[in-house]
Amino acid sequence: MTPPAHAVRLKARSLRKSFGASKALQGCSLDVRAGEIHAVCGENGSGKSTLVKILSGVQRPDVGEYVIGDHPDGTIERPRDALRAGVATVFQELLMVDTVSVLDNLQLGIQPVALGDSSPAEFRRRAQSVLEELLGYCPDLDGAAEGLSLSEKQTCSIARSLLRQPDVLILDEATSALDAESRDRLFVVLNRLRSRGVGIVFISHRMDEVDELADRITVLRSGASVATLERGKFTREDLIHHMTGADQLTAGTSERQNQLDPVSTHAVMRMRGVRIRENSYPVDFTLRQGEIVGVGGLDGHGQDEFLLALWGHQFGSAGGVVVLEDELERPITSASAAVASGIGYVPRERRSQALFPALTIRENFGVRTLERDTVGPFLMWSRTHLRFEHNAKKLNIKFGQDTDLITTLSGGNQQKVILARWLASHPRVLILNDPTRGIDINAKRDLYALLVELADSGVAIVMNSTEIDELVELADRVLVFREGAVARELQREELSRTTLVESFFGMGRSR
Amino acid sequence: MKGSLQTWRSRPEALALLLALGLLALNVVVRPSFGSAGSIPASLAAFAPFAIAAMASAPSVISGGGGIDISIGPLVNLVTIVVVVTLFGHGVTHPLAVIPIALALGLLVGVVNGLLVSVVRYQPVIATLCGYFILTGVGLQIAPSPSSATTSWMNHLADTFGPVPGAVFLIGPPLVLWWLLGRAGYVKRLRAVGGDDATAYANGVGVTAVRVTAYALGGLVAGFGGIASAALLQSGDAGLAGQYTLPAIAAVVIGGTSLLGGRGGLAGPLAGAACIFLVQTLLSSLYVSDSWLQVAYGSMLIGAVIFSGRVPQLRRSNA
Repeated sequence: MTPPAHAVRLKARSLRKSFGASKALQGCSLDVRAGEIHAVCGENGSGKSTLVKILSGVQRPDVGEYVIGDHPDGTIERPRDALRAGVATVFQELLMVDTVSVLDNLQLGIQPVALGDSSPAEFRRRAQSVLEELLGYCPDLDGAAEGLSLSEKQTCSIARSLLRQPDVLILDEATSALDAESRDRLFVVLNRLRSRGVGIVFISHRMDEVDELADRITVLRSGASVATLERGKFTREDLIHHMTGADQLTAGTSERQNQLDPVSTHAVMRMRGVRIRENSYPVDFTLRQGEIVGVGGLDGHGQDEFLLALWGHQFGSAGGVVVLEDELERPITSASAAVASGIGYVPRERRSQALFPALTIRENFGVRTLERDTVGPFLMWSRTHLRFEHNAKKLNIKFGQDTDLITTLSGGNQQKVILARWLASHPRVLILNDPTRGIDINAKRDLYALLVELADSGVAIVMNSTEIDELVELADRVLVFREGAVARELQREELSRTTLVESFFGMGRSR
Repeated sequence: MKGSLQTWRSRPEALALLLALGLLALNVVVRPSFGSAGSIPASLAAFAPFAIAAMASAPSVISGGGGIDISIGPLVNLVTIVVVVTLFGHGVTHPLAVIPIALALGLLVGVVNGLLVSVVRYQPVIATLCGYFILTGVGLQIAPSPSSATTSWMNHLADTFGPVPGAVFLIGPPLVLWWLLGRAGYVKRLRAVGGDDATAYANGVGVTAVRVTAYALGGLVAGFGGIASAALLQSGDAGLAGQYTLPAIAAVVIGGTSLLGGRGGLAGPLAGAACIFLVQTLLSSLYVSDSWLQVAYGSMLIGAVIFSGRVPQLRRSNA
């Protein structure tokens, strides 16, 4: 049965979804027609992944209408419902169950009865042919999935969705781990499905793929769908414009005065030829005294690994990180070596990786530097108290008693305590992973001012941020990561929302 | 090396099975009468309650998420007490009444455990520890002191039905049930949920239902264990509530089942239970003191953990 052309396969209207205080989606609409490839584009935090989760039934919208085919609104409560209604999703992260066989993974969630007219032997034959078409060969279907490479796992999870013969196929960054040939083979399959009337939702950080495939593009910004662009009727500038909403913002202003000429100041740290992913281009990087280096990119393109590598985490054998002290190079091969060399690291997950939630403010502050407050074998808490008071004043930390639990503080003040913990050991280098995440605007302002002050005093700062405005405002230069490597380095004079977003999507001038 | 590791990983119960066969041979060598046709039904009957308790402990472990059911031992014993003291004590002896009641009791407790774990979201150890205490206490209420009773069909279960050892009718049904559930696709869903519940859920597997069913299945199998224990002991003794708890978990691990979930079946725990049982009979044939028994269990466990736990970790770090 061929559906009429342009029949709407899937319709989402004014979807809203909040997680606590954060609004992931606020008014997102999407139509997917039979026989189209519909790309969804947006920068970090624009709501793409929440949209996918709602379309696939993993989450339900707080408000809004979601209709698949002729199934009435409100009947999609679980992934199973969406699958039964004909929507199959290839998720970015949820690929395979490692403990069971490849074949069992391909059949995941399909009841033996619901294999329908196809017998187990028939299913196996279909699985083989789908995998051969996508991979060029068929892995051992009875082998455990844990034996597969990442790219094979991604291919298998695409195959799983294809084997369900869906009316709508959702691909969320489903090409990220594929090599060029596998991607070409996938695109052949997608084009065939399109001509057969399947509606395809396509999400990719690669603009060239979107250009090649998409019939229409819906752009998300801050959780809302702001435009749907038809193929051939827009320019890249239009697309960037919709993604950044640049005209709504005042031009980014930099807080940084040009007080240091970065070229003349001396290097404090150097990374040479580190491959942060198996097949990625090696990263070379030199950090100079007193500069703030921003790290940006779409989520998950190697920024976290880069920061960890700077902090002594070993990725493979190639390359290495050294600090430069008095013209001498000292290798950083572990976190403890990093700490000993005066490198501080503030991780992204405050609660699970930086805080001791069960301890007091004073203990959280002093935990790294307690040896300074000892007399013989005894700890003099009053000294820690004095040191904390001193730092708290400098960082403008608002607290009641420093013997209160750290969790009694707001997120911004917690982050300041963590910074104070590091500052107490007078670091030469501070590595910050999204330090202003989840803290209010005033605390952000305080932190910005503090970071600038630290840089002016000579501390070198590397800061990953998911907020583009923050990079524009604070950084002397920004390293843009794509697929595990530095795709571009933007100097302060080039920094703007537009240039950053362009470079995130691999557009504009590349290095 | 990699190939042989792969084989061990895909058939983790094979090692336990080999070990069990070796121990069986040793038993026969030490005491030739162990293998004689006449002694097999009695040995099997002595083995059955523990073997079934081990099998009953497996589904919750396979279901992942820290899944474990430490209330299986007391449940087996409570079913025994209910059969011997409550049912036989009130003259209810017909197998078509006794067996369904015993199984229903096991199933009920299993369902409650499953709901506590999957719906109320207690940690499995805590949820089933509550069950452990409650079931032990209820057993004491029903039978403050040991009391004995049996019937002819019970005696047959502990001996033979014609040429067939009675224990076959107790150990067999859980295996048949497991095989049927495999045919129906449940076992695959169980392993998928145990291996990665988020991926399983996103692909349309009803994670909650699968986990509740796992605990319910464990309870149901424990019901068979209670009948086996009633047939073997011919008495109900609340003091025995704890006896199978830890050895049953040990049997699951020795049988090659990963406590991380997502792998294994009932054959492994059965083989693991056989190892423990045969070590016990071997040591008693050799007149070794009971205290060495515990040492032997522990040593076997260490070996099993090395094979079921360490090997995959080594592999993963190489990958």
